[in-house]
Amino acid sequence: MATDKTYKESVEAAIANPKLSEALHLFGDAYLAAREKAYEGLDFEAMRNDLAVIKDDVRIRRKELLAEFIKNAENAGSKVFIAKDTKEANDYVIKLAKEKGAKLIAKSKSMVSEEAHLNKALEKNGIRASETDLGEWIIQLAGQRPSHMVMPAIHMFKEEVAELFSKESGITLSPEIKTLVDHARKRLRKEYFDADIGLTGANFLVADTGGIGLVTNEGNARLCATLPNVHVVFAGTHKLVRTMEDAIKITRLLPRNATGQLLTSYITWIRGTVPSGDQQKEQHIILIDGGREALYESRACQDALRCIQCGACANVCPVYQTVGGHVFGSIYISAIGIILTAFYEGLDKAKEITRACIGCRSCVAVCPSKIDLEEIILHLRNEVTKEYGMGVIKNVAFKAVMKNRGLFHSMVRTASKLQLPVTHKDRTEGSQRIIRHLPLHFMDREFTEWRDLPAIAPKSFRQQFDTIPQKIVNPEYRVAFFVGCGADFVYPEVGVSLITVLNSLNVEVVFPKDQNCCGIPALYSGDTTTGVDLAKQSVEAFTEADPDYILCICPTCTMAVKRDFVDRLADHPQWSAKAMALSQKTMDASAFLENIMGASASIAKTASPENITYHDSCHLKRGSGVWKEPRALLDAAGHRLEEMKNSDRCCGFGGTYSFLSHPQIAKQITKDKVATIQATGVKTVATDCPGCMIMLKGAIGKTDPTIRCVHTMELLAEALDGNQK
Amino acid sequence: MTDNNAGRFIDSAKRVGANVVQMDSVQEAVKFISEQVKGITLVPETVLARQYELRSRLAEAGADVFSGRFRDAGQLPWAGVTFSNFCLADSGTVVLESTNEEVRLATTLPEVHFVLVDPKTILEDNLAAVEPMIALHKGSDPVFVAYITGPSRTADIERVLTIGCHGPRELHIIMVEGISSNVMEN
Repeated sequence: MATDKTYKESVEAAIANPKLSEALHLFGDAYLAAREKAYEGLDFEAMRNDLAVIKDDVRIRRKELLAEFIKNAENAGSKVFIAKDTKEANDYVIKLAKEKGAKLIAKSKSMVSEEAHLNKALEKNGIRASETDLGEWIIQLAGQRPSHMVMPAIHMFKEEVAELFSKESGITLSPEIKTLVDHARKRLRKEYFDADIGLTGANFLVADTGGIGLVTNEGNARLCATLPNVHVVFAGTHKLVRTMEDAIKITRLLPRNATGQLLTSYITWIRGTVPSGDQQKEQHIILIDGGREALYESRACQDALRCIQCGACANVCPVYQTVGGHVFGSIYISAIGIILTAFYEGLDKAKEITRACIGCRSCVAVCPSKIDLEEIILHLRNEVTKEYGMGVIKNVAFKAVMKNRGLFHSMVRTASKLQLPVTHKDRTEGSQRIIRHLPLHFMDREFTEWRDLPAIAPKSFRQQFDTIPQKIVNPEYRVAFFVGCGADFVYPEVGVSLITVLNSLNVEVVFPKDQNCCGIPALYSGDTTTGVDLAKQSVEAFTEADPDYILCICPTCTMAVKRDFVDRLADHPQWSAKAMALSQKTMDASAFLENIMGASASIAKTASPENITYHDSCHLKRGSGVWKEPRALLDAAGHRLEEMKNSDRCCGFGGTYSFLSHPQIAKQITKDKVATIQATGVKTVATDCPGCMIMLKGAIGKTDPTIRCVHTMELLAEALDGNQK
Repeated sequence: MTDNNAGRFIDSAKRVGANVVQMDSVQEAVKFISEQVKGITLVPETVLARQYELRSRLAEAGADVFSGRFRDAGQLPWAGVTFSNFCLADSGTVVLESTNEEVRLATTLPEVHFVLVDPKTILEDNLAAVEPMIALHKGSDPVFVAYITGPSRTADIERVLTIGCHGPRELHIIMVEGISSNVMEN
């Protein structure tokens, strides 16, 4: 399909040009540091909970609040127009401009005007729009669209800007940032004076005052709102807040989260028709729905309208940092952009980018409105699958094979034999189970060019379990092990290590054999039906086992058992009650060892301490809030931890993301991770996730085979073994 | 306000690139300003400007105080001199009720903005500003309130912080005790 090809090509083009990606990485690192400093002494969690409550109340009471806003604005002399879509909004501005005989509109930044393609509509009617925000002006001159919500021209370099400015002015300007900014200052100053209309966006529409609020740094919005006699406010209806206090609370989050500033240079509060020269200003407020009402009405997606447009979800996103906003987004970019594109431009426009999210939850961790972006994106991916399908391979894999536990497991066993001719004798440690090259002709070469793929273990964990002796007489606890596919078929040794560690603490392990895949790979690909069936199979098996706790060594499985099973089975009351009961007993092995067993106090020091570094798996840290626990355990075992930079940045795995949907992007993200591991100089990297292990072992194998990647449970088991010897 | 607020305000304002000076009297501030202005100076006629005869004192001290309509003062006048209503200590912000268009023009157009601040009007943070902000919006008259934090800035080219994009390139905050503790006027 043509659009698919274009999308794939744009991904490849972005990856082939590493200059942008390098700049976005530097920006991402600087952003995190500035943001952390900006929140010093404040309780971000409390602030964002507060904002979520405010925004939810606004959603529920939006009709009443909108009426209040309109009444108060009109009392102060403003004219308010509700536009059901962006076309109506554009038409209003065009009609107004014609009435006024206006030839020039000085504009400050308004994302909804990008959504409306307002400049083009004006141009067609002989009205020139002059963007005055520096970044917007740059992209206007370049004929592009913003690649970031807060910094629209973040993808451009000073040399390109100098070329654009020189071309526009006929003066050759040097590519020096100060010179370029000075040029824009002088050049655009004329526009405010010449303009017949000034157009601004609005960060807030304050219901109880009837005024708007503008959050800016450059000072152009104030000039646009002051010099021309007519002020047009172009804003989405979701900017509504109840009170001045609500708006002020948002000013405490927005700049901190957007740019790490405590406040921007200017926050401007305007109500009504303020004086303008010898007269009163004329103020028109155009409030645009354009898909917002439908989004408010969508139970699954409505939280997206809590967004205050800080752009943080892009700043921390590994996919955005790899390909930039022109690839990973449309008018709006990155995580929030996926959702807004689906609602404002249509699902069809969003279908590729819904699959481009790797699911690392970095955006969820920094969102000031506490939007679970990943959940909403998964929901949309499911909608896309319903509408457009998920591709033949996934269809067969999930629907025909995985749902049938017997078939799935016997196919995996068969595969373990079929792969024998291609498994590789490792250079350093003798025989290691990795696949160096894939013989399957339908698989892209780029799969194994840059990483080794894990081979399927000759004996799965489920085949080994009964042969593992457990000499526990009076166990303190009886725990059931949810093995997960990664540990079952690829790294059964991690499960064996877990038993060693738990037995040493007088904990007995049971293994309910009827358990199946957690269902996340199917769900992340948009296949909900398979997800429900898989959840039922495992819920049944674990309910029957009736353990004290359920432990996972894969954080994605933990999230599935703990959170998703309950949601997935919500429509089946007898199942959801069982799922809820299991949820309360489920946790990651590290969390159990540290928080329930207090293992770091009792665990023995290993005879041979190692320098290690630790990679935080996305779903362990941001899904379960577990990151201190494995560190405490490894420290107790006697290891010295050398932290890598951005230890909680995604490794690039993302399940089927790195194999089927976006191997090219995954490769870049993994490269970054391997580089940060290498930079520590340490030869052992520990993690708590078999998925991360697949990715890291594979990529490190090609880069530096002297580094080993292990699960925390393996290191703990080694420590115990070392002690027994 | 507390001395603590004043200290914090000075630190925060300096951190965002403002110049902060403490003076003993408005006359001393007038001398400080007039020594620095090198061109057309916009001094809005506000309650406090009239009370302190700011225009005439600056003119006497040698500043080129503009006497016509501010819109006729050219596109890039040299300086604007105003009072503030109140300030925010945590972010180093000055807040100006700017419904009077002269205040808006004097704080947006010039290269340099001088603002006189009574340290008694320094509030802890913007949460403490909720009350005066609500008071400024009482009734239904048109209102324009400006929060100003440091000079104009941009990072739109290669994310490099650059001062003086569209608003003033310099912000001088002059703290003088006893100007007016009334946060509703400037």
